[in-house]
Amino acid sequence: MGISMIQAILLGLFACLASLPGMGGTTIGNYTLGRPLVGGLVVGLILGDIQTGIIVGAAIQLVYIALVTPGGTVSADVRAVTYIGIPLAILAIRAQGLDPNSEVAAGLARSLGAAVGTLGTVLFYGTATMNLVWQGIGWKAMDGGNWAAIKKTVPLVDFVLPWISHIAFSFIPTVVICLAGESMVGMMKEYLPMDGVAMKTLFTVGSLLPAVGVAILCKQVVQKSLDWVTFGFGFTLAAVMGCNLIASALIAVFFALINFKVEQIKLGRPAIAAAGAALDDEEEEDI
Amino acid sequence: MADLKKVSTAARQSAFLRWIYGNLTCFSQEHMQTFGYLAAMLPVVDELYDNDDAKVKALSTYRTFFNTEPQIGTMVVGLTVGLEEARANGEPLDDDTINGIRAGLMGPLAGLGDSIIVGTFIPILLGVALGLSNGGSILGPLFYIIAWNLAMYFGMKFAFDQGYELGGSAVEALVGPQSAALRDSIVMVGTMVIGAVAATWINITTALSFQFSADSGLVLQDTLDSIYPKALNFFFVWLCWYLMTKRKMSPTVVMGLLVVVALVGVLVGFFDPGLSY
Repeated sequence: MGISMIQAILLGLFACLASLPGMGGTTIGNYTLGRPLVGGLVVGLILGDIQTGIIVGAAIQLVYIALVTPGGTVSADVRAVTYIGIPLAILAIRAQGLDPNSEVAAGLARSLGAAVGTLGTVLFYGTATMNLVWQGIGWKAMDGGNWAAIKKTVPLVDFVLPWISHIAFSFIPTVVICLAGESMVGMMKEYLPMDGVAMKTLFTVGSLLPAVGVAILCKQVVQKSLDWVTFGFGFTLAAVMGCNLIASALIAVFFALINFKVEQIKLGRPAIAAAGAALDDEEEEDI
Repeated sequence: MADLKKVSTAARQSAFLRWIYGNLTCFSQEHMQTFGYLAAMLPVVDELYDNDDAKVKALSTYRTFFNTEPQIGTMVVGLTVGLEEARANGEPLDDDTINGIRAGLMGPLAGLGDSIIVGTFIPILLGVALGLSNGGSILGPLFYIIAWNLAMYFGMKFAFDQGYELGGSAVEALVGPQSAALRDSIVMVGTMVIGAVAATWINITTALSFQFSADSGLVLQDTLDSIYPKALNFFFVWLCWYLMTKRKMSPTVVMGLLVVVALVGVLVGFFDPGLSY
């Protein structure tokens, strides 16, 4: 028993909503619909077996219970885990006649979820890369300086155009893989091996790109070469001394406080000097 | 300029809703939440300024890269709404000050949000929900959906309003007689935090190693680490900055270059993510 076209389309739609940069938004999309437990309910509703859906979702949820994605580094893609992994797991459990509540079924669900989750990181990079095109349209409007155009384009870029990325990288893959079933996952693994040049380059680019974003920030705050020392200080706190961002920020505030006091004293001095220049000279001579 | 301009409740609500929905919708690795930010600030800027040039100029402030834990980061958006309101009333706030505040807040707030909301609050809710969904009961997922969304909506609304009020009162300090010293210090915090962000959120390593003989070899990453940990992160940030400021390249061109660097690096064995299915 497979998945019908309508069911696949519904799963594809939810995949668009639930991705990490998803069309359902962060709170409702990623953190609600993208949680495997909630996804289990949704997939169960679509496939007409709520109970199995929730059992499978709960089994997979345990693996990703504290999935933190610091700074957009993705280790597993929730849209793939939830809206490709759970349907496939339900199919596999049915096909093999397993009891959904059993440990074997849970293990099967988890390994399928993990496999498509890793595969899904490709979808994540695909979506994020295609969004660059829409952002390009946005920048062009901003550069143009025409307010009426900006007012129309910015919401279009943020709310509407990313749907195209999701049709390409969430909707179509989900529909195709769900229709094709488990054999599809094995085939993709074969055609896009992780040790091939294409996948290696993809993941390397993914690790290099955040440097551009941070460099744009540096452009903003680094005014003179010496500012790189300040940057390097923060970098060293995190890289060498192992401070996390909160600790680094606290130390930064402490030094900024000292800087502020020094500047304040500098500000105060001309006033004192103006009020009693002669007095100031005498005092210095006394010392 | 008899009356002070004030952002209407409707415009504030619009900015809030746009942010909580659209903070990540147009995510890219280069500009993670920047467009969500622009979209959120748009109704506020549109209301505060009278002529189009001023609107364009004000919105352009928020073109710089932004990324944090977006739910707790709602506070930063509220804060800048407050600051923008003050600026529209003639307070001399410049782009560097506003962006210094944004940069200084986004790192620590991301750390706080990732650890408190994503790392603690969600697992607790899910833990309870998993217990409730024993045997496939619908109670578990329903509990999570309701508890999480209610908590987040009101939590984010609170953060936004608090940020907005804070923005108004922070202005006093930012434009007072000691503003230059304070501004300087804020930018200093921003620069240090960006440094820490570069060391934390970027992860560039090399897989290159040389084998001279059976028992002597050189793993380049280890050598680099012994010189300066995460040196490649620093190098690539500096390189991108250099290309953009000194060579006047656009970020898109720099990214194109990075793709070439990645491809060549993979081919010569310098880069290897070492992943497997």
